[in-house]
Amino acid sequence: MNLETSIQVSASGLRAQSLRMRVIAENLANADSVAGSPGGQPYRRRIPSFRAEMDKTTGAREVSVTEIRSDKSAFPRVYQPGNPAADAKGYVLMPNVNSLTEAADMKAAQRGYEANLHAIEAARTLKMRTIDLLK
Amino acid sequence: MANSIGALDALSAYGRARGVADGMTGKIGPSSIGDAPASTDFGDLVTGAVGQVGDALAKAENASLAQVAGKGDLIDVATAIGAAETALDTMVAVRDRVVNAYNDIMRLQI
Repeated sequence: MNLETSIQVSASGLRAQSLRMRVIAENLANADSVAGSPGGQPYRRRIPSFRAEMDKTTGAREVSVTEIRSDKSAFPRVYQPGNPAADAKGYVLMPNVNSLTEAADMKAAQRGYEANLHAIEAARTLKMRTIDLLK
Repeated sequence: MANSIGALDALSAYGRARGVADGMTGKIGPSSIGDAPASTDFGDLVTGAVGQVGDALAKAENASLAQVAGKGDLIDVATAIGAAETALDTMVAVRDRVVNAYNDIMRLQI
């Protein structure tokens, strides 16, 4: 049944968006995670990338997460001589996480999740109304 | 007169419902009511439908148990329960329809 398949596809969307939400949570939680040793690398921001994938049994194109890549942008340097992670000149490399960007991404993930929920709701309503034809 | 038309409707509805239910359970039975019911009777039909719904319910239950044990996915639970619910609703609706048709045939005046 096609409506069942569309629910499966929307469920794959829900999974993808929830993983995106998880990665955003990781980025936000580690927004201040610096290196453990002087001159070391701090936390690097991560970005999930999605791809359309054909489901062999249903023939529908579901979404899947191919990989979680690292953001290659440079780390900001902050002068904090007292920090254990500071280099010889007193500078500490901070993670390249921007809370504003993460907040915007979070809204996008939230909206994407809601859109998939609405699609599931609509498909289920159609299915129920089709069954009602029998009654 | 009205009664006989109702009975004819019932007969064709019964035949159609049987075809649909056979399709649901993956069996190939006689396509019209005139064929000899060699491989399927009403009992087989209901047994097949109930078995299928039982499978769907078992899947939903397994997903719920895995979720409670902290190993499952909430999305899997929601979709499995939704699928089981529709399977059950379809089975109940088809059964009601077929039982009604059967009763109509039983009331047929000869």
